[in-house]
This record gives sequence, C-alpha cells and structure tokens, in this order.
Amino acid sequence: MSEWEIAVNRAINNNVPKVFQILNKYPYILELAKKLREAKLQVLSNPEKYIEETINSVKRIGGNAYFVRDANEAREVISKIVGSGKKVVMGKSMVAYEIGLRKYLQSIGNEVWETDLGEFLIQLADEPPSHILAPAVHMTKERIAKLIREKLHVDVDVNSSHEELVAKVREFLREKFIKADVGITGANAVAADTGSVILVENEGNIRMSSVLPTVHIAVAGVEKIVPTFYDALTEATVQAAFAGLYPPTYINVSSGPSSTGDIEMKRVSPAHGPKEFHLVIVDNGRIEISRDEVLKETLLCIRCGRCHMHCPVYRVEGVDWGDPPYTGPMGAMWSYAVYRDTKPAMYCMHSGNCKEVCPMKINIPRVLERIKAIGNGSIRDGDGYGKK
Amino acid sequence: MLGKIILQNLEKHDFPYNIDKKICSGWANDLPKGGETILFTSCMHQTASLSDTFSRTIPLAEKVPSLSVFAKLIKPNKEQLERSYKVLRNIASLLKKNGVNFGYLYEEEPYSGAILLELGYLNEFGIHAERVTKFLKEKGVKRIITVDPHTHNALNRYNEFTKFDIEVVNYLELVKDAKIKTDVSFVIHDSCLYSRFLGLRDVYRQILTNAGGKIVEDLMVTSKEVSYCCGSPIKPVNHELGEKVAKSRVEQLKKLSENILVVCPMCYANLSKYHNKIYDLAEVVE
Ligand code: SF4
Repeated sequence: MSEWEIAVNRAINNNVPKVFQILNKYPYILELAKKLREAKLQVLSNPEKYIEETINSVKRIGGNAYFVRDANEAREVISKIVGSGKKVVMGKSMVAYEIGLRKYLQSIGNEVWETDLGEFLIQLADEPPSHILAPAVHMTKERIAKLIREKLHVDVDVNSSHEELVAKVREFLREKFIKADVGITGANAVAADTGSVILVENEGNIRMSSVLPTVHIAVAGVEKIVPTFYDALTEATVQAAFAGLYPPTYINVSSGPSSTGDIEMKRVSPAHGPKEFHLVIVDNGRIEISRDEVLKETLLCIRCGRCHMHCPVYRVEGVDWGDPPYTGPMGAMWSYAVYRDTKPAMYCMHSGNCKEVCPMKINIPRVLERIKAIGNGSIRDGDGYGKK
Repeated sequence: MLGKIILQNLEKHDFPYNIDKKICSGWANDLPKGGETILFTSCMHQTASLSDTFSRTIPLAEKVPSLSVFAKLIKPNKEQLERSYKVLRNIASLLKKNGVNFGYLYEEEPYSGAILLELGYLNEFGIHAERVTKFLKEKGVKRIITVDPHTHNALNRYNEFTKFDIEVVNYLELVKDAKIKTDVSFVIHDSCLYSRFLGLRDVYRQILTNAGGKIVEDLMVTSKEVSYCCGSPIKPVNHELGEKVAKSRVEQLKKLSENILVVCPMCYANLSKYHNKIYDLAEVVE
C-alpha cells in the first residue's frame, strides 16, 4: 500500500462511521440540510439581488463590503486594505487559496502565516493541500516532525508525540496572533439580511485571527451567501455534522467591527476586537455557472468533504485529482466552476457514492457528465442536452 | 472527436467497434424473433470481456483519429463467450419460469449507446438515441426487458433526448421466483447503476434471499453509501486507475466472503481478473 492509501484508509475508518453516528444521534440535522438546500437555491436563482442585500447589510453594521469579479480584482482590493510591511494571520480559506492570496500578500512585503494547523504545515512544506478539511492528510507524523524541526528550528524529532508537535506549533503561532495587524478568514456562510459572517472551527485559530488583530477581512465566494442569519447558522451546523465534527468546538459570528453598548446602552465601535471589518465577495465564474440548471448545483456545496471519503477515484488518485484546493468529487465540479478546467471531471466513473452522501443532495455525477460533455466539445456551455 | 468516431462505428457496425454481430445472438436459437416485448442484451454480456481491448484502443483513437483504429474485427475468446451465453440462457429461462413471454431481435438488436453517455458525449448519445428509438418503433416494440445495468440506464435516459414511450423493465424486476443452486454464502458487489441510480439494489437481494441464498453484509463494504465501483467505467479514460480500483475492490470484498456475486457483466469482466470465485446472479439461481 502506498503512503497515500494508508493515510486515506485511516481517515476513512475514522470519519465514515463517525458521520453515520452523528446523523443517527441528531436526526434533526437531515431536516436542517433539506432546508439549507432550499435557502441556497433561493440565492442562486437571483445572486445579484442577494449580493446587493449583503453589501448593504454589512455597511449598516459599520463594515465595508466589496464585490469582486475575479482573482485579480480580489487581490487588488485586499492588498489595498492590508498594505505592506504588515503581519497577517490567516484562517483556512479555499477562496483565499483559489485567488492566490497568501503568496500575493507575501510578494508585496507582508509577513503572512496560515494558522490552521494543516494549512500551516502546507505552508511550511510549500505543497498544495490534499483535502478540504485535512489539508495535510498526506503527511505522516514523522514527516511533519522533520518539517517543523527544519523550518521552525525547534527541538522535535521522529519520536516526538502528536501532542508535542502541536504544542510547538502553538507556541510559534501564539506570538504571531498577538503581533498581527490583520486577520484574514474565509466564511462558512454569509447572512444577507444581517451581513454577518459565520465560521465553524475546532482549533481556536479562527477566533484569534478574527478578533486579535485590529483589522478583520473575510473573503467568501458568492455561493456562501444565504438569505438569513438563521440559514447561516444552519449551514454551520450542517457543515460540521457532515464533516464528522459535531458538535463543532466553536462557531464564530462576526457582524461588523467590535462594538459595545455598555455606556448608556449606546452601541459604539470599536471595543476590544477589530476596529475595521471588511467582507470581500468573490465571483470568479460563479454567477455564470448559476445560470446553468445542471452546473448550478456545484454552488450548493458546503465543503463538508464527505464525498471525498466515499469516492473510489479519490481513494485511489488522491491529491492529484482536481485543481488545488479543489480535489475529489466536489473538486472536479469546482475546478470547472472557478478555473473552467474540464479535465478533472473526465475522471468521474459515476459510482454515485458522492451523490448518495452529499448533504446538499447534489447530483455530482450529473454535473460532471455535463462538464465532460463541454470538455469533449460534444455540447457547448448553455446547450439544452441532458438538462433534466 | 472520439464521440464522432464511436457514432460512425455505430452507424456502420451497429456497435461501438467492429464485431461480428453473430457473436451477439449466438446464445439464442429458440426465441421468437421480434414482438411487442423483447429481451434486450445490447450485446453487453457477450462482449464484456472485450472491454479491456476496447479501452486500451481509445487513447490511440484520440491521438490518430484518421486511422480508424476500431476498424479491426475483434472477438472474445471461446470460453468467455460460452460463459456469457450460459448467463443469458439462464436469464431467459428464469423469465420463462416466471411466466414472462418475450421475443428477441437477434442480429438486428441495436446497441444502447451507453458508452457515449458514460464518456460524456451527450450530443452524440442523443443522436444515437433518436435512431434507436425510430428503429424500435418500426419493429413494433412496446416493452423492453434489459439484462444489464448499463443498457438499462442508457435506455432510461432516452427521454431526455427524444420522445421515447417504450416501457423499459429490468429482468430482475420480473423474476419473483427462483431457487438457489448452492449453499455457500455470498458477498454482493453491487452495480453502481443498479444500486445508486436505478433503485434495484433491494430487488436482487430479495431474489437471492427468497431463493434461499445467504448474503454477508457490512456497512463499510456493501452498504449503498460506502460500497463502490468495480473500476470498469474509468478504464477508457485511464486504464491503470480502473485496474487499481478493481484490485482494491476485490480485496475489500474478499474480507467478507470468498464468493463474490455480481449483477453486471462489466463488473464480472473487471473483477474476475483478480479473483476466480466471482459469479453472476444468473449463474447461482435457477
Ligand atoms: S459536494 Fe456535497 S458531500 Fe461533497 S463537499 Fe460539497 S456538500 Fe460535501
């Protein structure tokens, strides 16, 4: 067995039964998932309206919001806020990876640190992530020890325990959090009605990234917008459960910059947390996709990563399937949605396991079939065949 | 490009590549020709063992489309062909025992177009579906009995491309009564299409248990959500990947039972390279 197969089989044996147990024990989650699908479809039927509503809501709560068309525009807007010579801490974000944010901010003279442990290891190794939840799932503990010793010059070796390794990284990152000028996070969901950004996590790094620095920038794809605050909390709940991490350790809500109402109950800002809050909503091909009845399902994905674990191609091909950070079955859809790359879809063997386990009931094989046909030149994007 | 080559082959040979159509019908000699209800093999059982050769040829066809690499006549070996004939004869006899009457189109039987659909040639599949539909209507066919998941799935999707009002039913749905031939227990390797797309997963389990068969199940190996593909559909795109999937699938299944039961000729062809105790459902019940 290859190192990849060993790693992925361990992950499957840990994760797959866990998700089944969670769904059994908390049956309301399936109900919530159904409602969430409807809420997300509502946004996809009129994304422009919801983008506008979100921007207005963010402004109303004292934040700034921007809608950007592509990766270039996204980097431009964000780098204007950040500037150069700054210390930046980041929470894991696929969109940030998609638009090449970390490397760009570094290239204009900032010190930038990923703070999600897996993502941090990926940064140290300068490798693409291999799974959306566990980006460093392909690395063994021994390799990680070596990496940390070499890059952080700390005293660990192959015999160090998992706990010791985590402690060393924690020590290193603590200092970065405290000194950071800017915190950048993604978003699990964005509520159009309140302008709030919801983030789910277990490590505690997102709380610190979004609260310790004086500036918080959240970057999110258009598909993260849901109609209401309630829907946004629903998305966090469903995402955590289908990822096999339920209850999640933390759910964070950020509605504008920090504020207090303690003096005569007048709400003033800032308080202890950030004095600036920015939300950057990224299109990068998403709105166009939302106009196609089949392809639009891609945008329902809540990135729980469950489909990966059930897909025979991912189990065998692993990291090499899809354009980073978009791997696995969802990645084959997303590679087309944001990079217009049809090749990963060709690898779909329509086993259908992904559609069976997807909380959003996305018919992934059907989406990939359509992408294949576009890639083959059999149909053009927008043709009617196979739409039902 | 490949889609067009396959489509041309379908026009010329009535099959994705060049075969002698007699091998498709060699199993049947006592069935009435045609009729309103027909058994439809799409020559899948008979040619499943050729899928390897076919999938190895595809990358060549993509590179040198001008040399018609599919032109050469290819033939399954005798033993494999005989086995597939036995499976088909058993299916026919099971149907008759269950009181189902049907005819067969012999060499005139068209190919479903499954390969076009599965490789993502939707437009070409639509063109082929129209042609097949027209032909079947001319023959007066009102009801089709399929015997493999790929054909069943392809016919099921004709409606998206053309007006298709012929009833499609799978033989598994018509066999209510059968008897098991052996007392060993089996682990089922589900066909992805039957299990997750066509809703027949419980139908063949029922046939087997009613017949007195014993089945071993395990959430991580045979459940609807976790059990997976035999690797065959990916072979035309990446042969090696298909083989790796087949190998790992056999390893999982063997942990539960030495005797592996399949319900699809492609699963049989792909998995039987890695294990010799693989049986089609129609081989173990009568
Ligand atoms: S496609 Fe479905 S299962 Fe896969 S990551 Fe997205 S929501 Fe989860």
